[in-house]
Amino acid sequence: MKIRTKPGGVLGIVAMASIVALSLSGCTRGGSGQGGGSGASPGITDTSITLGITTPLSGATAGPGTCTVAGVSAYFGAVNAAGGVKFGDGKTRTVTIKSYDDAYDPQKSLANFQQMVSDNVFAATAGLGTPTNRAYRDAAISEKFPQVLVMTGDPLFSDQKQSPWQLGFVPIYQNEGAAFGKLLAASKDQHKVALLSQNDDYGKGYVSGFKEAIKDASNISVVGEQTYEATDTSVDAQLTQLASSGADVFFNAMSVTPLTIAALQKAQQIGWKPSWFLPSNTSSPTAILEPGGAAAYPGIYSVSFAKAPQSPAFAKDPDVVKFLSELKQYGNYPDMPAFPHCMWSYMVGATLEQAFKNMTSPTRDSFMTALRNIKGLQAPLMLSGTSIDTTVDGQPAVSSVIVQKYNGKGYATAENFG
Amino acid sequence: MSTVSPVLRNRSARIALTVVVAIALIAAPLLLPAFANQTLVRIGVYAVAVLGLNIVMGYTGQVNLGQIFFVGLGAYVTAYGVNHGWNIIVVFVAACAIAGIVGLLVALAAARLGGLAIAMVTIALPIVGVPLAKRLSEFTGGSQGISARFSDAPDWSGLYSDQWQFYIVLLVTAAAFLLARSLVQGKYGRAFGVVRENEAVAASMGVSPYRTKVLAFTIASILGGASGFLYLAAVQYTSPETLSFGHSISLLAAMVIGGAGSIAGSLIGGAYYVFVPQLTNAIDPSFTTLSQGAILLVVLFLLPEGLVSLPRVIRRLGRRRTARPTSGNPPQTAPAHHPVPEAAREGLENTERQDRP
Repeated sequence: MKIRTKPGGVLGIVAMASIVALSLSGCTRGGSGQGGGSGASPGITDTSITLGITTPLSGATAGPGTCTVAGVSAYFGAVNAAGGVKFGDGKTRTVTIKSYDDAYDPQKSLANFQQMVSDNVFAATAGLGTPTNRAYRDAAISEKFPQVLVMTGDPLFSDQKQSPWQLGFVPIYQNEGAAFGKLLAASKDQHKVALLSQNDDYGKGYVSGFKEAIKDASNISVVGEQTYEATDTSVDAQLTQLASSGADVFFNAMSVTPLTIAALQKAQQIGWKPSWFLPSNTSSPTAILEPGGAAAYPGIYSVSFAKAPQSPAFAKDPDVVKFLSELKQYGNYPDMPAFPHCMWSYMVGATLEQAFKNMTSPTRDSFMTALRNIKGLQAPLMLSGTSIDTTVDGQPAVSSVIVQKYNGKGYATAENFG
Repeated sequence: MSTVSPVLRNRSARIALTVVVAIALIAAPLLLPAFANQTLVRIGVYAVAVLGLNIVMGYTGQVNLGQIFFVGLGAYVTAYGVNHGWNIIVVFVAACAIAGIVGLLVALAAARLGGLAIAMVTIALPIVGVPLAKRLSEFTGGSQGISARFSDAPDWSGLYSDQWQFYIVLLVTAAAFLLARSLVQGKYGRAFGVVRENEAVAASMGVSPYRTKVLAFTIASILGGASGFLYLAAVQYTSPETLSFGHSISLLAAMVIGGAGSIAGSLIGGAYYVFVPQLTNAIDPSFTTLSQGAILLVVLFLLPEGLVSLPRVIRRLGRRRTARPTSGNPPQTAPAHHPVPEAAREGLENTERQDRP
């Protein structure tokens, strides 16, 4: 028992510690993490480029989150199978996608970003969520790490001065609200509008976009305005209040799926049947409108810039057919996509490919320059009338949306209201 | 800790070990790659939160499901203070103090309730906290959250930001752990233990269960606030998502897995909270929840007292293995070997929960 004497014990520990310290010093950082002798940024070689996606793959937002990975993987899976992307510097590279689950937790998305840096990822893309993208925005800027075509309606990501290494992909909330407001203002009839909005930047964004668009329209009057909290479990009180205003148009800026279904059902029960406007992320025909019994209303309007694969109008569309087969083959997503994020991230793939084709040297700088110079790109699955435009400061890559009307199965473009 | 208990019994060896650990901790960020530092920083953040939870749950036996609320509160106070140009020491004190005061007020009411009622009150905190954080947008930045950068390395230091953050976190975490260790080894630690075991006995011994519970709860909140400060040092951003209820449960799981009623277990719990998502991400990012659940079950099944009991279990297994072949002739080995681990086990319990001379 007492073989180990004092000095031996102490010496042993010191010896061990110095061995550990010496072996650790082997992994001291070299330079600022810039890899490759040819001046190439990390994550890009002569034959491949690595992209990272941090997005919720578990938890409440896992459905759309999984779609963001599936769409990009599907697009580049097919591109890789065809040989890869011919970059602007003349080399052909394949695209590797690394996905990371952040469970919609900002702290985890930052951890994932740090992991990406240590995994030598070239750029982060397509990740879903405002808080999760914001959590590593500062870190990405100081690391000069592109965080592009992310799925958030937060305008901050499209402000070039504040976010030099960022670019949002989907339309900001105001874009969507304004599109519907414009359609309504162009109508010849008088309309009374009731507004219900989530009491945060999401709801406020929609409402301000809408109000801006109807500002000069004399035929539109807002007769009722209510808000609710994202954590509320019922909006029955607000609906009853708004129903009594006699509005014939109901602008419902709601982001919570079960609440939207409940609202669709409740308004019918109390005999209020206006035309509805729903945001793009809570207007899914199968997940929301069918269970909500939306056929009872004169019209359900939403906005979109993507062809909906569920819609009979697009069932035979070549883009849609190609997309669905690639999604199954390369995206590990065998079902009909239940969320538009699958289509959106597929378009992200196409936009990135365009930027790759235009980048003249294998650096992040060159990539950002190429990415910010895409104009008029009609990515696959985009509705006619919308396009990718990354050149406008303050606007995301897609800022044009088309108002659509529900036809009992899917959506069809609405030329005018009514 | 208990693996080195024979060495620890030796005073000078213990001092030497402490010095070596201190030197290793101070030298580590200079040698390690950035990602390792960033990971260690996050471990520090959550170790402090788990430590607070351990004081109130592990040591005092009161169910607290709201610890993440105090982490979030500390983070928001820090963000507010930093963005208003307060001195960083003031910010730190405010983060701890405001979380502590809120914790005290809640505890004054909640500790009057027995058993599960306290759990209910603490559940309410994060549930109220999230909409509150969204509403009070002039303080919290609403649902978009709020950024505050104070932990970038200053130019004069010549360090990288991850190294600088490591030192900030190391300072606060080490102080928190040393203070908590002295606390639970002293008379308050004994009071916590008695209240946990039997409140009637505690009262008969002149220890007020109510005051003890309020004290434990307040200390947990202060540590939560400190953890929130560190959260902002590490993440530089906070949003209502930070204090969502699910994370409170994850913290609880981390505490149980690390080892309830153990200071070292809190550190392990913090490491678990950070490492497991990273590990499951590396396995397959599409199945993180599934593999996290599996890991949780495996650990609890094999080590019901937490990871901190691992050395003890290994020793017990080792003893069983060496004892079995010689069982035919026990007097030679068994008496010599048997009492030692038993004593070490007892010794561990003493050091963890009560005082040591």
